[in-house]
Amino acid sequence: MTLSLYWLQCGGCGGDTWSLFNARAPHLYELFGMLDIELLWHPSVSVLSLKEQDRLLADLMSGERPLDVLCIEGSVIRGPGGTGMYDEAYGRPKKDLVAALAKMARHIVAVGACASFGGIGADGEIEATGVQYHKWDKGGFLGPDFETLSGTPVINLPGCPCHCDVVTGVLSQLAAGGAMEMGDYGMPLEWYGMMVHQGCTRNEYHEYRVEEKRFGEKGCMFFYLGCHGPLVRGPCNKILWNGRSSKTRVGVPCFGCTRPDFPQQYPFFKTRNIEGIPIDLPDGVGRAHYLAYKGMAAAAAPQRLKKRKTGI
Amino acid sequence: MPRDKKQIRIFPFNRVEGDLKVHLEIEDGVVRDAWCAGSMYRGFENILKGRGPLDGLVITPRICGICTTAHLTAAARALDMACGVRVPGNALRVRNAALLAEMIQNDVRHAVQLFMADFTRPGYGDHPLHGEARRRYEPMKGTSALQAVSESRSLLEIIAILGGQWPHSSFMVPGGVVCLPSANDISQCRHLARHYRRWYEERVLGCSLERWSEVTSRAALKEWLAASGAHRKSELGFFIRFARTAGLHKIGGGRGHFIGFGGLVIPKDSEAAALGRDGELFPPGFYQDGEAVPLDQQRITEAIDCSWFAGYRAPRHPFEGMTRPYATGNENRQYTWAKAPRYDGLPAETGPLAQMLLAGDPLLTELIREEGPSVFARQLARIVRSSRTLPALETWLRELSRRQGLFYNDAPPLEQGRGFGLVEAPRGALGHWVVIENGAIQSYQVITPTTWNASPRDRQGARGPMEEALVGTPVRDPDDPLEAELVVRSFDPCLVCTVH
Repeated sequence: MTLSLYWLQCGGCGGDTWSLFNARAPHLYELFGMLDIELLWHPSVSVLSLKEQDRLLADLMSGERPLDVLCIEGSVIRGPGGTGMYDEAYGRPKKDLVAALAKMARHIVAVGACASFGGIGADGEIEATGVQYHKWDKGGFLGPDFETLSGTPVINLPGCPCHCDVVTGVLSQLAAGGAMEMGDYGMPLEWYGMMVHQGCTRNEYHEYRVEEKRFGEKGCMFFYLGCHGPLVRGPCNKILWNGRSSKTRVGVPCFGCTRPDFPQQYPFFKTRNIEGIPIDLPDGVGRAHYLAYKGMAAAAAPQRLKKRKTGI
Repeated sequence: MPRDKKQIRIFPFNRVEGDLKVHLEIEDGVVRDAWCAGSMYRGFENILKGRGPLDGLVITPRICGICTTAHLTAAARALDMACGVRVPGNALRVRNAALLAEMIQNDVRHAVQLFMADFTRPGYGDHPLHGEARRRYEPMKGTSALQAVSESRSLLEIIAILGGQWPHSSFMVPGGVVCLPSANDISQCRHLARHYRRWYEERVLGCSLERWSEVTSRAALKEWLAASGAHRKSELGFFIRFARTAGLHKIGGGRGHFIGFGGLVIPKDSEAAALGRDGELFPPGFYQDGEAVPLDQQRITEAIDCSWFAGYRAPRHPFEGMTRPYATGNENRQYTWAKAPRYDGLPAETGPLAQMLLAGDPLLTELIREEGPSVFARQLARIVRSSRTLPALETWLRELSRRQGLFYNDAPPLEQGRGFGLVEAPRGALGHWVVIENGAIQSYQVITPTTWNASPRDRQGARGPMEEALVGTPVRDPDDPLEAELVVRSFDPCLVCTVH
């Protein structure tokens, strides 16, 4: 059965779109063909004339054309003062268009950190919010009780940007009509059920508390350099970026871009800590146990790790 | 005779990045006046205020999803300067290689996926090459469109190997880069670059880079096109044949002022010195009346007379810049979220054409001298730019494979300081200006390439480059203003960048 898809860009950078074009084997266009997805509109792809665009929107709003999947990229901009005029479309705030299309959709997918939770502009003057969450709170633009025509809440796919395999994976599930097991904050467990540092090639350093204070070294970045790998969920180190690597593998600390409060309000590249132990501990771990474990781990660290002689 | 006057508005403007609104006044089938507007404001410059000194490295790449590495480079260079730290040659090579990979993917994506898709539209139904254009460029189906999606995607793997991911990594820091690429990493990058080059030569140019480098005049271009079927069938050859027949060399002229920031610094003792000039792959400068003058960043200002901003009147240099949004909800004198950058008080076009002219490219220099700027010249520059950037990319990767040494010099903690980072992004001149006080960002100002190109009018009423280029464009069907859209798309606009 053909699945119609409308891709709406709001308060974002387009990065989720270009991340989606990273899809390989099959690449994006091949995949849409295989899944029988009819792309009604995407701003970076469509060749529709102005009149055709207007007609398409009218047909979707009247229900003449069914809208199976509405993908929203970027936050919903509500500023200034709730007017939404920092993001204008057709002489009206674009948030009106989001509301109108949302009513007609069978599924809504919030692609990326901004659409999911508000992201970059959530604390800014543009009063950005996510489609159905504002940071940690359910609600966002459409409200906590909103349901699509198929009776489901908005599916959140955070990440800045969202990894292409997550988007294509969700579209594949929707095309197959299969259920998705959902975790916290509207995120499917399949991709957001693991911590970012699972699969990081620096894990052995982390295990033995071989921690770096300087850029350009091989050890773990959790204690001093602000890495969020053990704190936030995401599949970066399992499915890898561009099929090749990840930020933490090459020495860039994880900035926690899947977490509802991304971007954090304290400085990046620096871990907040008490007496050398991070304030934020790995998800679900108690401080007393962690102190004992890390003390013993450091004592047990092998020379090859301390000397960074591991080839990684 | 009564004159037929019409106002039209193009929105949403597809196949440009972000939300662009173009307002045209058409009289007797010709554009008489034009206004370009960015309709979304995101407030990055204010979000950065008060944040940690290095936070621009994480926040500013998120201004743009397709030139994210360029923003990272500008942010890192501004901090290099603020810290007063020297960047090791290997780190320059890594930064440059990533920046070039991003530029090269952008060039082919824009040419094939975003621009030549217009050749398939019904408005060109009577063009003799329309059928072939549809076979090649129809979105999601065309043979060339499919190849461009695959090849640009695979080239970007270079940035993931060096920097962890594309888009949106932060692997450049003041003092260098955080990565320590292994010999195997570099081999992989070299294979990807070599693979792309082979495809570019075979399918995009239809000849080797060496053969193309012989095309140094309009006469040589004509001769090249006639010389072989492979040349005519390539993306470049097809573009030339379609565009000349469609008259794209006669539209989209503009004022002929150009600006480029250079910024691809050639490391000492690099063989790439032969590919560039004065230590940079592309020289920074301002180009007017066929003459290039060296760039002086102090002459850059931003005006806000016609933008939805308040707070100052006389144009300001970005170090004194200010971003105070003022949403009127109206479109009168003020009509856009873009400021109006000026060089010596003048609007200036930026992008591949500006870069090639500043580099003294003989073919484009002659073309501009004889025909003036046009949609054709801009697209030609974009398609052939990779013939200059690919050899540099391959040189720097090769040099990385045989070099030991540092990738990072310790940068001191940043309590106070100011710096600017100027780079050539895929779409042209990109600058970041940062001021740090008491260990936090006190001011951050960004001027992106499309802020130059999609600039609104200034106090003197001078139009921005895109607006100026639109004036005089014949439009056959005001309901489907294809020609005007092509003029705009030839600038490869990125509105998410412009308004940031």
